[in-house]
Amino acid sequence: MTRLRFILRSLRFHARAHLGTLLGAAVAAAVLVGALVVGDSVRGTLRDLALLRLGKTAHALASGDRLFTTTLALNLQNGLVQAGVAQPNTPPLAPALQLPAVAVNADGSARAHRVQVLGVDARFWQLAPTPTALGEPPPDAVLLNRPLAEQLRVQPGDAVLLRVQKPRALSADAPLAPEEDASVALRLRVQAVLSDAQFGRFSLQAGQVAPFNAFVSLGMLQQRVGAAHQANLLLAAEPQPPALPRGTTAGNVVIWAGAVPFNLGEQLERVLTQRWQLADAQLEWRALPGSGALELRSPRVFLDPAVGDAVFGAGPGATNALVHRLAREWPGLTATGVLTYFVNELRVGDRATPYSMVTATGPPLVPADLGEDEVLITRWLAEDLQAGPGDALTLRYYVVGAGRQLEERAATFRIRGILPMDAPGLDRDLMPDFPGMTDAENCRDWDTGLPIDHTRIRPKDEAYWREYRGTPKAVISLAAGRRLWENRFGNLTAVRFTLPGRATSDRAAFERAVAPVRVGLSTLLTRALNPAAFGLRFEPVRARALAASEQAQDFGQLFLGFSLFLIAAALLLLAVLFQFTIERRAPELGTLLAVGFRPGQAGRLFLAEGGLVALGGGALGAWGGLGYARALLHGLSTLWREAVGGTPLQLHVQTGTLLGGAMAAVLVAVLTMTLALRRHLRTPARQLLAEGVLEDAGGPAAPPRVALGVALAALLGALGLVAAALANPDRAGPGLFFGAGALLLLAGLAGVSAWLRRLGGLASAARLTLAGLGVRSATRRRRRSLAVAGLLACGSFLVAAIGVFRLEAGRGAERRASGTGGFALIAEATQPVVRDLNTAAGRDAHGLDAATLTDVRFVPFRVRDGDEASCLNLNRAQTPRLLGVNPDLLTARGAFTFVRLANRAAGAQPWQALRRGPDTPPDEVPAVGDAASIQWALGKRVGETLEFHDERGRPFKLRLVGAVANSILQGALVIDEAEFVRRFPSTAGYRFFLVDAPPERREAVAAELTRGLRDLGVEVTPAARRLAAFNAVQNTYLGTFQVLGGLGLLLGSVGLGVVVMRNVFERRGELALLLAVGFRRRALRTLVVSEHVALLGAGLAVGVLAAAVAVVPAVVASGTEVPLASLGVLLGAVWLNGAGWTALATESALRGELLPALRNE
Amino acid sequence: MATSVPLLELQDVTKTYPGPAGALPVLANLGLVLERGESLAIVGPSGCGKTTLLNIIGTLDRPTSGRVCLEGRDLTTLDERALAEVRNRHLGFVFQMHHLLPQCTVLENVLVPTLATRNEVLRDGAPERARRLLERVGLGQRLDHRPGQLSGGERQRVAVVRALINEPRLLLADEPTGALDRASAETLANLLVDLNRELHLTLIVVTHALELARRLQRVMELRDGRLRDLPAVS
Repeated sequence: MTRLRFILRSLRFHARAHLGTLLGAAVAAAVLVGALVVGDSVRGTLRDLALLRLGKTAHALASGDRLFTTTLALNLQNGLVQAGVAQPNTPPLAPALQLPAVAVNADGSARAHRVQVLGVDARFWQLAPTPTALGEPPPDAVLLNRPLAEQLRVQPGDAVLLRVQKPRALSADAPLAPEEDASVALRLRVQAVLSDAQFGRFSLQAGQVAPFNAFVSLGMLQQRVGAAHQANLLLAAEPQPPALPRGTTAGNVVIWAGAVPFNLGEQLERVLTQRWQLADAQLEWRALPGSGALELRSPRVFLDPAVGDAVFGAGPGATNALVHRLAREWPGLTATGVLTYFVNELRVGDRATPYSMVTATGPPLVPADLGEDEVLITRWLAEDLQAGPGDALTLRYYVVGAGRQLEERAATFRIRGILPMDAPGLDRDLMPDFPGMTDAENCRDWDTGLPIDHTRIRPKDEAYWREYRGTPKAVISLAAGRRLWENRFGNLTAVRFTLPGRATSDRAAFERAVAPVRVGLSTLLTRALNPAAFGLRFEPVRARALAASEQAQDFGQLFLGFSLFLIAAALLLLAVLFQFTIERRAPELGTLLAVGFRPGQAGRLFLAEGGLVALGGGALGAWGGLGYARALLHGLSTLWREAVGGTPLQLHVQTGTLLGGAMAAVLVAVLTMTLALRRHLRTPARQLLAEGVLEDAGGPAAPPRVALGVALAALLGALGLVAAALANPDRAGPGLFFGAGALLLLAGLAGVSAWLRRLGGLASAARLTLAGLGVRSATRRRRRSLAVAGLLACGSFLVAAIGVFRLEAGRGAERRASGTGGFALIAEATQPVVRDLNTAAGRDAHGLDAATLTDVRFVPFRVRDGDEASCLNLNRAQTPRLLGVNPDLLTARGAFTFVRLANRAAGAQPWQALRRGPDTPPDEVPAVGDAASIQWALGKRVGETLEFHDERGRPFKLRLVGAVANSILQGALVIDEAEFVRRFPSTAGYRFFLVDAPPERREAVAAELTRGLRDLGVEVTPAARRLAAFNAVQNTYLGTFQVLGGLGLLLGSVGLGVVVMRNVFERRGELALLLAVGFRRRALRTLVVSEHVALLGAGLAVGVLAAAVAVVPAVVASGTEVPLASLGVLLGAVWLNGAGWTALATESALRGELLPALRNE
Repeated sequence: MATSVPLLELQDVTKTYPGPAGALPVLANLGLVLERGESLAIVGPSGCGKTTLLNIIGTLDRPTSGRVCLEGRDLTTLDERALAEVRNRHLGFVFQMHHLLPQCTVLENVLVPTLATRNEVLRDGAPERARRLLERVGLGQRLDHRPGQLSGGERQRVAVVRALINEPRLLLADEPTGALDRASAETLANLLVDLNRELHLTLIVVTHALELARRLQRVMELRDGRLRDLPAVS
């Protein structure tokens, strides 16, 4: 005889009794394992999707609105090969031109907005998830991914029309940006529909929803959009290092000949820094033989500040400026900054010259001591204005505000001197290549994007344009020019490097002479400049994508949370059933103690037996957990698909999860058993041998003082938390809700315990009546009664509380404080809207009907694309989408409700928290987001920061300063528009609009906007519908929680049934006696049912009351209306279910002959 | 001159239970001395405290006051761990109900107490000892039977063997024949008396059965919380 043999004997003998325990452990393990497997499956699916959308891409350089040359790819490839970390062309770096577009099918019956058009060549397909033989698409063909093909309802061979946004060198927001057609239409034949494995899902943004992708010929796209040999996307895969000769051993030194580990990101950055060209930053040289100078300029018109900083130094005293080296490398060579601007008028007294160029620069064109209030004017202007030295010259010019509003300003200078028209350095190249101006034959053909009054243009002005083109008529100091015209795009239009004595009229000779200087300067500049300042920066997209999927919404934990009550119910049931088993075996335990076992020894024997049962349950549960996970995944693909954005989830099973989940369930089950067993082990052996374990065996019920004290303390604590939440809604979170709820449940259950004790001590219970007997029975097994009441209370608490939290988007949607912000519509554009839709001119420019748009107002947002940071994206958003808005527009409307503010003092005007304050560090930008987005999609809290890089590669932090409640702003972070344009100057126009429209004309306004802004790919959605889509996710989660909570409640009801049966069996003698002395069976049934239904009622009442109090702060804060009717129906169903189980158990237990029980007694 | 220590000595043992009207005394300053090899029957009316006294001697209960010395060792000063050891090594218990474990065979039931001991010698010799004892009580052919396959008398004999398996000094029996028919009771009584004689085993039996009581060396009556000899019964 050994202990193991004893345990196995017991296990076998009591197998039937253990069945309930086994099932309890199995259910707990199945739920636990299932929830964890769901987490693995979601993570695994997201990982699969991430790898599908990136293929073999590891790093990507996405320069957005900036273009680089396609030779950069070759240069970098060669650099990697020379560095010994890659083999030629295996796999290559793939350049692409990625542009937004609107797609329409041939008959115009189907459209798709926000389409990604990708100009690619054969190199792109080598990075596909599975190798594909696709080369560069033919010029007249397009390859669509499946979602886009389905949206357009097209097949191979069909025609589609793509309206593609043209990349613009000069931002549409920049001064003098022409109002040219910003898009080009491509009519193409569908060559093929690509699967995900063929790279159809390609995207750099983390998200499980496939984008609309259209792949076209890179060369064709470059040519059609006017970006020859340029790209804005460069993809890099992990290269295969070249094979090296086998290693050798020399003496005691082993020479390593295998692949040397390297960091691709670092290698790319290194090679990029070494091999990038000025052309990759859209910088170019122009030889100016007449001025004897080389000019660095850009088709973007304004040079990025980094250029000026590199050449002249970032500030006073800068020692690393290029100008300091020039003197050593090329003695006599001088560098001068140039900032040429278009002015509306040059006026002296009552004489004015319209529409002219004015240049701000330094020597040699102007004397070094030219004051900031002084101006040199050309001979032509002096004559036109009849002005001379000492006269005051007033300049009028436009500047562009943050919202692209034009503001005319004036500045007055004192004329210091007159420049002859052939003054050295005074030439027509001082004017940058303003699109719409440079090529114009005469002034009337200018397309400047500015309001030009053509009546003011005189014949002499036309004559000047013909003879001198953009030669400036006045010159001021560079400092003065920067003060007036520096903008977010730059502070120079050119840098001139003048070679002394080289001025010539022989261009060819000059070109030859300056060629070495140009090469030398290019080298110096590319070394001095950081390519990141021009958007040339590789991002580790693969690592980031995998991190986004790894850090994704943890569905394992989520479902574990959702299933927690179900697990608790299973464990409670397990505890009750195990307790019953132990109670039945109390004499056995007593015997062991009597023959010399210590309580610990005996307990370990029982626990080992229980542990084996739990182990069996765990194994069974692990198997069942797979089924449970399949069921949940099926639910997530069908019933709850909103929760995962419609992602088809695949089952991913990891052995570690199965074992870990099952073992965790076994441990918890054993712990539960330990707790159940502990009381029995404290019972004296003589009592165990004599009568088992009886509560209240010692005499009358103890007074309920302790229980009442616990109830009172818990109640006070809960009310304190609720009061604190009401007083400080900013701090009211789920923790507080659950804290208050738990305390209230504790208070309620302690109250029920006290009530049961009190009932037992009442005179009515002492009286020998049928009711008195019932009361005594109910109070006799108080712990058992409390366990059941507790289970039911927890279940009804969850069901009731969750019901209150369900969100309804339509209710009160017109209120400014609601989740829609009171806005009627949301408009999202594929291509930026650069005109102000709040003005008649802006509406007129798009042909929008003024009558339909009467009383319609727009709040425009600039958009920086990024990861969708809403609950529709399961991935953890790494770089969320940014929206830039003028905070005054939202402040004036009092839109949305803030639930958190980093600075509570800003509560009166919370949107003003977006403004930079005096204490805001320079590298921080205040941001506001939706509370759910911040918490779930970003995993952050208000007050925390997110790391970002601006367009010029400079890092900055987004400081979360506020959170709005349950709003249509989910998915993005909102910052001040002024900060937005400072950080992302190239992002032109607006692509997101919140629209105020009269409710009765909402549909008409939506239709008019859709029609008028069709070419910009504008999609209009009712704000309430958008909110409902977001709410659907939360409601689906809550629904899931409710369903799983309901299952737990069902299990609780089963527990109630088991307890009823057990109680009746224990009381069969008592009941038989009552039958024997003349009571009718029906009376006994009523007695038993009423006892337990009272218990059921007490449990439900405690749960519902606790929920009612705990949700008060949330209800008050959000203004949610409590759905009393549906809640009442739900709880009624729960009560009926419990009563049904009670009646069934009673009927089953009382069936058959009771009287033999008397004989057994 | 060396003084021999009695096997069991009870000194001023008092046991009271709390009641609605104050403490209810069951045993009052009770004293008892029992030498090795003696057999004692304790009789008395129902509810007089016989089982309480036996439980106190058997360390399943503690006296309110007084001392219980086994071979000179005061058991009232021991902790639960030591008391379990005493029960396992020095005492044997036979209850009115046999309390055999239904999941174990006859032999296994007898060996159950050996699972609690760390004495390897005792444990190693236990199976052979169990077989011998079971043979001795007439159950040599029923080793692999389950309790459910035995008669009431046989079960009680198995319980007696289980009580003897660790070779205790003192065997305590609480109404051992109370649940048996006459013939089985007679057989069990014979067994207890024979064991007392053959094994020089000290025996205390609480019983209502005068037939059994008369066969033991001493008979004492518990009345009003005190023990007194009943020589007339002897």
